[in-house]
Parts: sequence; structure tokens; C-alpha cells
Amino acid sequence: MTSPGWRRPAHGVRRTGKERVVLRQTTERVYSSIARVLGDAPAERRPEPAGRAPKASGIDPAVVGELKEIADYITRLKSGIAALRAQELMRDRLPMAHDELGSVVAATAGATNSIMEAAEAILVIEDSTLDGYRAKVESRIYEIFEACTFQDITGQRISKVVEALGQLEKRLESFATTVKIQDGEAKLDPEDAKRQSRAETLMLNGPQLKGPATPQDAIDALFS
Amino acid sequence: MALDLGMPILVVDDYQTMVRIIRNLLKQLGFEDVDDASDGTGALAKLKQKKYGLVISDWNMEPMTGYELLRHVRADDGLRTTPFIMVTAESKTENVIAAKKAGVNNYIVKPFNAQTLKTKIEAVCGA
Repeated sequence: MTSPGWRRPAHGVRRTGKERVVLRQTTERVYSSIARVLGDAPAERRPEPAGRAPKASGIDPAVVGELKEIADYITRLKSGIAALRAQELMRDRLPMAHDELGSVVAATAGATNSIMEAAEAILVIEDSTLDGYRAKVESRIYEIFEACTFQDITGQRISKVVEALGQLEKRLESFATTVKIQDGEAKLDPEDAKRQSRAETLMLNGPQLKGPATPQDAIDALFS
Repeated sequence: MALDLGMPILVVDDYQTMVRIIRNLLKQLGFEDVDDASDGTGALAKLKQKKYGLVISDWNMEPMTGYELLRHVRADDGLRTTPFIMVTAESKTENVIAAKKAGVNNYIVKPFNAQTLKTKIEAVCGA
């Protein structure tokens, strides 16, 4: 990296007064940048004793350039980390997603239970008159309708989780772009590694998105 | 050969709702002697206590999966001939082939209906 007006002198070449001024100004900029980034405070320097050349004049310009790059990177990193708003994610969004999904599981289980109870009750309804039988069946059917209202509520809960995940994805993408991060070798927690290995060995994939990966007809063909 | 509606059936699934659904479907088909277990370990214990005519098992369970249960059953001299149907959402072809190699008699992908269950039971137990 080269500052305006600065050309790199060969080793052992005596710098001109102009070069020394440019080097001092560049060094001061880097110094204050680093101090600002690391300490969020203005740079403080002890004044040079009168009649002495600035210490900065002895710094290799390549080092100055590298320091400047480091300072710029740290600034980008800090701004990327701040934009992640990790505290907000950990305090609000992720616990909310966890709670909402827990409620969805509970609501669907409760609704399924209610629907099945009503259906099982219909199967064993007895009444001596047609009107009496009809009234009992209708009463149970309305219970089923009521239980089906879970879909509206769980739909809203899941939408909130999807929105939170979208935010998380957006922020992580922005962070990765800002700091130009590359995926490294992940160090898995031993328990996670064990779980992952078990899932791979036993092929625990769970339901496929958008329906079965292999339709029943194709499976039947394998067994015919 | 007609289906023996009196044969004991063991349903293995960690979701009680699914157990209840399969129980009701079996009841609709005329089977009355139905037991259940919530994972492979519990199922294996029940299989060693009672002679079952059919096992209907999910795949994805902890701590012992349906696939592990199947392998245990096929490795046990006293159980190896027990008909075994896998009823599961694990529908990747590699899973189906792995289960077939391990000795499963038939394979049903969730969700399914009473007719599918009946057809598979007939194919496995002979009708």
C-alpha cells in the first residue's frame, strides 16, 4: 500500500525532508486509526523533544502499509460484528424461535389428540333414533372443527420463526461478505460428532421436503 | 390362505399419535391383539416375552432405531422368521434397499391409508 506523495526509498538512502513529512503524516494516521479502532479514543502521542527528528522516520513503509491494512480490517470486522446484533439474536430472536416451535409441537399434538378422540367416539356412537344418532355425530364433528383451528395459530407461529431465520441468514451473509470469511475446518463438539456419525450410519434423514424421495410405487417394485 | 385376525401384532413407534393411528387402522381391518413399544429396545424386550405374528415398526427412533431392531430380530434364532414391515418417513431409495438387505418383508412410506396397510399385511402374512 502506498500513500499519496510517498515513494519507497531504497535501504540506506537518505530521506528528503518532504519524504520524512509524508512518512510522519502517514504513520500518525495509522496510529490514530489503530487507537480509534482498539480503544475508541483519540490517539495520544508524547510530543517529540525539540530539535529531534520524529521516531516515525525510522519505520519501514511496508510495515506502515501492513498496519494500515490491519487497521482497516479490524474496522470492517468491528462493523460486521456490530451489524450481526448477536445480543439481540441471543436475547430475543433465537429464544422466541425455540418457544414458538415448542408451542407448535404442543398445539399440533393437542389438536391431533382431540380430533382422534372425537373420531374414535363417533365410531362407537349408539342411539335408538336417527335424530339422536345424528345429533351425537354432529356434536363430535364440531369438536373436530374446533380442533382444526390450530392450523391458523401454528401457521402464524411458524411464520415468526421463518422471519427470524431469514434475519439470521441475512446478517450472517452480510458478515461473511464484510470480513471476507472462508469456511474453515469445523471442530465438532464430541457429542455432536457422535450424533452426526450415528445419524449417517443409521441413515436417519427424516421426512423428505415436498414429499417422499421414493414414491410407494417404486418401493413396491423393489419388493415385488 | 386367509389372514389370521387373531395373530398378535407389535407396533413400534415413538409417536403415540402414530401408534394410535396404526392401532385404529388395524382395528378397522379386524385385528384385535395389538401391543406397542416406543423404540427398538422396548420392542425387543416384548418380542422375547411373546410370540408375535407381525412387527410394524417406524425407522427413526431413539435409542434403538427400527433398522437396528430389524437387524437384531433377523440375527436372533428365535425371532428371525417374524414378519417385519417398516412404516416410515425415511423414503430415500438407499434406506429402502438397506432395509431390504437387512431382511424387511415390506416397506410403507408415511403417510399411508388403511388399504395400503392391508395390502402389505396380506403380502407379508399371506392372504
